[in-house]
Amino acid sequence: MSAAIVAAKEILDNLRDRQTLFYALLFGPVLLPLLLGGSLLASFKQLSIDFDAVTELAVEGSDHAPNLVAFLNANNVDTVVAPADPEMAVRVGDVPIVLTIDERYGLALRDGRPAPLTLLMDESDKGSNKAARRLRTLLGVHERTLNALRLQHRGVDPALFDSVELIVDDVSSDGASGQLLASLLPFLFIMSMVMGGFYLAIDTTAGERERRSLEPLLALPLSRASIVLGKFCATLAFVVLSVTLTAGSVWMLFRFAPTDLFGGQVRFDGSTVFHAVALASPLAPFIAALLITVSAWTRSTKEAQTYLGLLMVIPMAPFFVLQFLSVRATAWSVAIPMLAQYQLLERATLGEAIPRSFILLSVGGTLLCALLLLILAVHLYTRERVLG
Amino acid sequence: MIVAEALHKRFRRPGARRAEAELVAVESVGFTAEDGAVTGLLGPNGAGKSTTLRMLATLIRPDGGRATIDGHDVATDVLAVRRSLGFMPHDAGVYPRLTARENVHYYARLCGLGTRESRLRTGELLERLDMIGFADRRAAGFSQGQRTKVALARALVHRPRTIMLDEPTNGLDVMATRSLRGIIGDLAAGGHCIVFSSHVMQEVAALCDTIAIVADGRVAMVDSLSGILSRTGESDLEDAFVSATGADGRRGG
Repeated sequence: MSAAIVAAKEILDNLRDRQTLFYALLFGPVLLPLLLGGSLLASFKQLSIDFDAVTELAVEGSDHAPNLVAFLNANNVDTVVAPADPEMAVRVGDVPIVLTIDERYGLALRDGRPAPLTLLMDESDKGSNKAARRLRTLLGVHERTLNALRLQHRGVDPALFDSVELIVDDVSSDGASGQLLASLLPFLFIMSMVMGGFYLAIDTTAGERERRSLEPLLALPLSRASIVLGKFCATLAFVVLSVTLTAGSVWMLFRFAPTDLFGGQVRFDGSTVFHAVALASPLAPFIAALLITVSAWTRSTKEAQTYLGLLMVIPMAPFFVLQFLSVRATAWSVAIPMLAQYQLLERATLGEAIPRSFILLSVGGTLLCALLLLILAVHLYTRERVLG
Repeated sequence: MIVAEALHKRFRRPGARRAEAELVAVESVGFTAEDGAVTGLLGPNGAGKSTTLRMLATLIRPDGGRATIDGHDVATDVLAVRRSLGFMPHDAGVYPRLTARENVHYYARLCGLGTRESRLRTGELLERLDMIGFADRRAAGFSQGQRTKVALARALVHRPRTIMLDEPTNGLDVMATRSLRGIIGDLAAGGHCIVFSSHVMQEVAALCDTIAIVADGRVAMVDSLSGILSRTGESDLEDAFVSATGADGRRGG
């Protein structure tokens, strides 16, 4: 009962604090998904070429190769007249690339010699690279057609030159991008949980001591355990609020992502997000307990911010470690908080089946650690040093 | 009523190892504070007044001696002591983002009063301590006097018989001090046992029925003002204080 009163007061108190609200309502739920998910989606869009989309291509000397221009037009490329100084235009980024058709192009083609074409591009620019790749692919198709015609003209079967038929079936790139997204989801959830409870935990423990309101509070007829429990519940409320909002915004964000972008391997619909939140939910009490315990141990809000800042590395660690090392999910690894959720969420997002024992172990392991941390926090509050 | 006998407390020096010498904060403090009277702990900063009050408020455990508050032992009967004791520490420690009313109401609820009862009791105290004018403003911009009143209202909210105030007049202006003095006098007249610590001689002389002179962690003398003056043969409390503590009994801190 006293714990509920403490929790209600801390929630009301911190709802009036802009810093706490910013981190709980904006940082995790809005800024983080937009920054990470948004930039990831944008880079996918930048790298993937949509041959059906109509683009413009600056061409110099288009009169020299009417057939080539017609071929490009037929393949969704609208040719426009190149700027006066094409090299400079590409360098400063006025146009992504410029195709220069030499006046000898037609003559060389008729004589059966290689017909000269110049492609101006900027290797350091992503947009330029993408446009150049698209043009190269199209020119490659055009070249094969011309080659075949030349050979047939001389009575040679074009297939004679195809000693190897290479069929490229790219399964990796889509898979890899799906994998990255799948590991991003637990990262987002865990970070938003930590950020959601961060300031409230500091404010209610180290902050309370710094404001000198802890001493009269501890002199009241209620147990230290109920004080700690109340502060824990208030932090938990903000952690849950933050991760719920984050789940909502992640779901919104990926609704706008084209589904075939991930090769159909990852489905970001309501049920995926719901499953991910459900699997991550045992982390909420764990993170709340961790935040409370660490900031209860510190002597000032400044110290608490420093330690919790360092603590931020912990939710990030599995994300980076799992990027480089593939740690297989075992009964051991899924009993470790955070690591477990990374592994399980990744599998759930990729649509893989998760053994029931793994789920039970992850829930049990995480909640047990949360309980131990809470016991430690209560112990910290019974020390005389807590008064500072 | 407070009965303290030979209370002793030592701390480890900050940053020191366990084996190193400890700092004795309170060597031996004993006094009795009666109901319906104001008892003052008079002593310089660092004399051990706050540590003594913290021991009595069950915030820290005495390393030696014993004390009871309304018959409850501070070392063993912690919750009963806290129920019968209202403690206002050195710093008011009000919550800046809560209003004066919310600050008091929170303590009322924590002390076990129901929602309705807490509201009534809070309203009663706000009126009694003349706080209506700022009752529903957030405490962030409060003056020291207003903060002290909030802290005092919180300490009184569960109707404790015994009330301890640690340097309550610190930082108060003349009018606020007078007002607080009036409140303390009223509480004592109402049968409460009041203990307050101060290093201001006038304060103690004006208000206290019994004065305990504390220096270097010991009680040098306990008596009424007139008793102290006649025992030391001095005409004012300041001279009596110097004489009782044995010349310059101060130490820093």
